[in-house]
Amino acid sequence: MTNATKTGMIDFRGVNKWFGSLNVLKDITLSVEPREVVVVCGPSGSGKSTLIRCINGLEAIKDGDLVVDGQRLGDPATNMTQLRTEIGFVFQSFNLYPHKTALENVTLAPIHVRKIPRAEAEQAGRDLLAKVGLADKINAYPSQLSGGQQQRVAIARCLGMRPKIMLFDEPTSALDPEMISEVLDVMVAVAEEGMTMMVVTHEMGFARKVAQRVVFMDAGAIVESGTPEEFFSAPKTDRSRAFLSKILRH
Amino acid sequence: MIWQQLQSLAGSYPLALRGLGMTVMLSAISLVLGTLLGFGLGILRTGGNRLISAVIGAWVDLIRGTPFLVQIFLIFFILPEFGIELDAFTAGIIALTNLAACFICEIVAAGIRSVPTGQVEAALASGLSRWQRMRQVVLPQAMRIVLPPLVGQYVLLIKDSSVVSAIGLTDLTRVGWLVVQRVPNGLLVFFLVGVGYFIVCYPLIMLARRLERRMGAAHGEVQL
Amino acid sequence: MLENFSFRTIIEYLPLFGQGLITTVWLSALSFAGALAVGIVLAAMNLQRGRLFRIAAKAYIDAVRATPLLAQLYFLYFGLPRLGLVLPELVVGIIALSLNSGAYVAEIIRAGILSIPRGQVEAGVASGMTYVQRMRLVILPQAFKVTIPPLLGQAIVLVKDSALLSLISVSELTRAGQLLASDRFMPAEGFITIAAFYLLLYYGLKGLAALSSRWLGLQPARSST
Repeated sequence: MTNATKTGMIDFRGVNKWFGSLNVLKDITLSVEPREVVVVCGPSGSGKSTLIRCINGLEAIKDGDLVVDGQRLGDPATNMTQLRTEIGFVFQSFNLYPHKTALENVTLAPIHVRKIPRAEAEQAGRDLLAKVGLADKINAYPSQLSGGQQQRVAIARCLGMRPKIMLFDEPTSALDPEMISEVLDVMVAVAEEGMTMMVVTHEMGFARKVAQRVVFMDAGAIVESGTPEEFFSAPKTDRSRAFLSKILRH
Repeated sequence: MIWQQLQSLAGSYPLALRGLGMTVMLSAISLVLGTLLGFGLGILRTGGNRLISAVIGAWVDLIRGTPFLVQIFLIFFILPEFGIELDAFTAGIIALTNLAACFICEIVAAGIRSVPTGQVEAALASGLSRWQRMRQVVLPQAMRIVLPPLVGQYVLLIKDSSVVSAIGLTDLTRVGWLVVQRVPNGLLVFFLVGVGYFIVCYPLIMLARRLERRMGAAHGEVQL
Repeated sequence: MLENFSFRTIIEYLPLFGQGLITTVWLSALSFAGALAVGIVLAAMNLQRGRLFRIAAKAYIDAVRATPLLAQLYFLYFGLPRLGLVLPELVVGIIALSLNSGAYVAEIIRAGILSIPRGQVEAGVASGMTYVQRMRLVILPQAFKVTIPPLLGQAIVLVKDSALLSLISVSELTRAGQLLASDRFMPAEGFITIAAFYLLLYYGLKGLAALSSRWLGLQPARSST
């Protein structure tokens, strides 16, 4: 845990990754500052999900350096399990535990990993579920919740660990359109509290509202990076222009 | 004549009870040991270590590929050649436990593999340790797949315990074999032996069926 | 220890093992044919509208599944003579295996028929087919496909179960091992050799099951048996 402030909260330096012979991450260099919100977008297969899955070690990197909260991934001295407790990860398909209630989903890791006393963890869990607007669904099982509600439980589950970083992997793309805003509202609230966030999404409204930076990826490389205003009003490359015209059409 | 036979049969009821007791005891002990061992092996089988998984897989194949009678003979007659003296009861327990463990290992492994990878990733992402992931997230979900065939396996185990009569253990089947020497009515004697097994096995078969229906229904409900 | 393990004796007894193996193969094949016949009759009874047929089939299947094959074998072996039927041990053995395996085959066939989606039945009804036509043209051809791998699994079980016939002195493979064990006091040579032969049959049938799954375009057989 050395001087995390000197570098960014998340630091990619020349990171490469292959799936077989396919170069899915090409020479990625990117630094995310504490409290910064970065939106990552790009066509499917561009490597954006792989990029954030590397940050908590769901994918291993091939070469280059990836330093998260001052700890270098792949370094034997880095305790990956420990580091993961500092990073919340929200999945596209929610991945709630189907055999546990909403509250149990939120309290499982705090009780077993953080060793917080059950009563205390449950109180915190109730508060978190209330915060994401699900005070009345505490004892519901995932199968009894709508997609939007499940994703809000999943966000509460991450917040329960009091993470320093939150990663979102297309959190709204599995949702029916009318449920998207309820999830985005929660994400905006989290961002406004000063969370360091990396969000893979095509929700440009969300990007305009809270992101300090938009990163555009294509074919495994970062093609363009800038403020939302720059990116949306004056995209610099042909590929980003083509991408924007596609997603903004609907 | 049938009257005399019935009287003679009634006289052998202490022997029959002892036989039933032996069958139940053999089955119960190997069932508990086999389940523990089987879960352990099943977890190791899916644990990611290729070598361990391959060794377990090969052993399971050996056991699934040979008749249980031959396994009992191998254990009972050959282990003594390695200086391990066994009585028939211990040999029977070892053979049955090993058999149960191998089948349960595969059932458990299939259950663990049925849990979606997203569940493991979610558990990983929240920093659960290997054992916590298994205990809190994977096994509870795998049990839905594991439980019905597991109970079915117990029925097979109880039935397979009849084969240990071949090395002279006085279980229920052996009792039938002994009684039929005195009361030469095979239909009646082995009908009664069958009733004995039926009483033990049938409730388990019913349970397995119920679990299968319940788990099937629960599974449908959880589908997103 | 096994330092006296005698390959020479095994080779000397090889003709006996060979005969035992051949006997095991053909008696298993015959029993499997018998089991298919029993299974088809039971499955047909199970699908009848008449309650009596269904109850009889269910009772038979439950009775077989809740009792050990060895007890069933002894039931016939010691019981048939009582009914005036004195048959060779081999025949008694084949009957026992057929009747036992038939109950499991019936369940496999039933599961195969039930696995056909309702929509298939409805499509048949919609195009004006009779019950028999639907069965023959729509259901059975599809059900047949999915039953092949589990039927081969049942064949594996049957081959292994046939070892029990050695206990009523049928000269099959296991009996050959017992003879070597008792004649020469060489249980290791006898039982390890027959175990190897059984494994040969096992891997053969298992390979066949895997191949059939691929030919039929099914998922690789889930670890059944």
